[in-house]
Amino acid sequence: MKGFFSLPGERLFHVATLSALGFLLLFFVGIISSLATYTDWRQFFSILFSKEILFAIRLTLFTSTMATIISMVFAVPAAYAISKTNFRGKNIVDTILDLPIVISPIALGAALLVFFNTSLGRALEGNLMRFVFEVPGIVLAQFTIISALAVRLLKATFDSINPRYERVGRTLGYTKIKVFFKVTLPLARNGLIAASILTWARAVGEFGATVTVAGAMKMKTETLPIAIFLNLAQAEVERAIAVVFVLVAIAVIALVILRRFTSRRQTS
Amino acid sequence: MISIRNISANAGSFILKDINLEIKDGEYFVVVGPTGSGKTILLECLAGLQRLRGGEILISGKNITPVPPERRELGYVPQDYALFPFLDVRENIIFGLQPKKISKQELEKKVSSLANLLSIHHLLDRNVRTLSGGEKQRVAIARALAISPKVLLLDEPMGSLDVRTAKYLRLELKRYHEELGITTIHVTHNLIEAEEMAERMAILHMGQIEQVGTPDEVFFYPKSPFVADFIGTPNILDCDYYNDIGHGLIEAVCGGVPIILPHHDGPVRKLTLLPRDVYVTTRTPPGPGINRFRGTVMEITPFSSLIKLTIKVGEINLLAELPQDIFEEMDIRTGHEVHLILKLRSLRVY
Repeated sequence: MKGFFSLPGERLFHVATLSALGFLLLFFVGIISSLATYTDWRQFFSILFSKEILFAIRLTLFTSTMATIISMVFAVPAAYAISKTNFRGKNIVDTILDLPIVISPIALGAALLVFFNTSLGRALEGNLMRFVFEVPGIVLAQFTIISALAVRLLKATFDSINPRYERVGRTLGYTKIKVFFKVTLPLARNGLIAASILTWARAVGEFGATVTVAGAMKMKTETLPIAIFLNLAQAEVERAIAVVFVLVAIAVIALVILRRFTSRRQTS
Repeated sequence: MISIRNISANAGSFILKDINLEIKDGEYFVVVGPTGSGKTILLECLAGLQRLRGGEILISGKNITPVPPERRELGYVPQDYALFPFLDVRENIIFGLQPKKISKQELEKKVSSLANLLSIHHLLDRNVRTLSGGEKQRVAIARALAISPKVLLLDEPMGSLDVRTAKYLRLELKRYHEELGITTIHVTHNLIEAEEMAERMAILHMGQIEQVGTPDEVFFYPKSPFVADFIGTPNILDCDYYNDIGHGLIEAVCGGVPIILPHHDGPVRKLTLLPRDVYVTTRTPPGPGINRFRGTVMEITPFSSLIKLTIKVGEINLLAELPQDIFEEMDIRTGHEVHLILKLRSLRVY
């Protein structure tokens, strides 16, 4: 190593890149650990197991899991179509699907709110179920934010699958649909799991669209990010911090599982 | 009999144009051509994996053009074999039998007979990721043969193998073909592989067939400048004297040069030899002086990774080929005197 970075220019470059890395690491570890200094650990667990926070945890896990399942049901075939099919206007479709990733979630939430004020939106709410300021609204808001991300991640998975596998499957007596279930999906397994975890984690942390569509109502539409918002607004900083720790813990678990699957994918 | 009639296909910017071929039952047919000539697309058209723009494909008189790949009953071994990494070797082999709902006993019987044929019994429970290139090839062939196909389609089956393994597996492929008698269409860019395996071969260039024939016909009577360039123009010498000297040998004078030939029934009129079968050396070779000559280098032409030499021997010019690194090591220049050895087994007599 010493010999490799022996030239003065190389050493300078090496120091500069490692310094940037060190700065970012310190920054993130610093802001997370600063929470610990503000926490009264004697009260932490009683706050954590309070009725409100347990409700927020349950609601968040339920809505984010539902949103992930629904988004996967749409994203898997949609990503496959955009990855493996050539059609006119594919680039435009691809760009439209990227929009929800770059548009501010609050703007998307506002768009949903406006939609439910149109005649079609009102008919849906009247005949199907109520979304605005209700739990289904949370699922819908999360779905809106994560489905595009799911399509993007799954498209990358399907793109990486060599079409020869599917071709061999066809010559071995499998129809196009059977090949999708018997060859493509098993090949995409790790990518599917990784995409599910990432989109689920994104849904867990979703705030902007959720608060716009479902509102911020204690013990009704109070997901974990909304619980942070409500408690900070009421100057209940310690309660807010307890929720932050729950979100950090969920994120860490998700990333550990994700790493297991992505590293397995790389070695396969 | 496979009849390919006027087929055309588009794959991206690549076009396959008016391909016509007749492949006999049980024949080992090789399609050879440089990279990008359309070999894989042709094979995919046969397998039903490429949509045809025109023309039709008949197997035993039945038009299979509208038949989807899953009902064509053709065994397909793609480049790099595409073994399913989520299945072990046994599961890969029986993959094509599962839609047929065969009993477990029959499945085992089939796996066992294929494992015997391809000598892969010891691999059956292995993860396919742990197999060597040669092992993967044999498993891929077993998987393709499991469905009892009418035709076996092999796309660059030796492409990712080292020279030694490829040589061994070429012999093995010949053995499977002889044992099963299955019509085989083998696609390759490797001329030596084509010559060794083919009963007949087709030369493909830019989506069109340049020539079809036995390896001898193609190598010694190239029909187009491209084929001649692709295979390398052979040396053709007219013979005006020959005499059987016994021990399976003939003494002849071809192109004014005395040459010893392997026994040949009938008159000796012509002698052909590929440039790669003319050995060139700057030092006097040891051993008896049969088919060894001295010549003068008249011309040196680089051709891809080879160097083509025109060498004057007596009154005739002989073409020889050398790999570039060996040529550079020998430090041969125009006007230099060199020694030539003609490879007895490669001499062809007409």
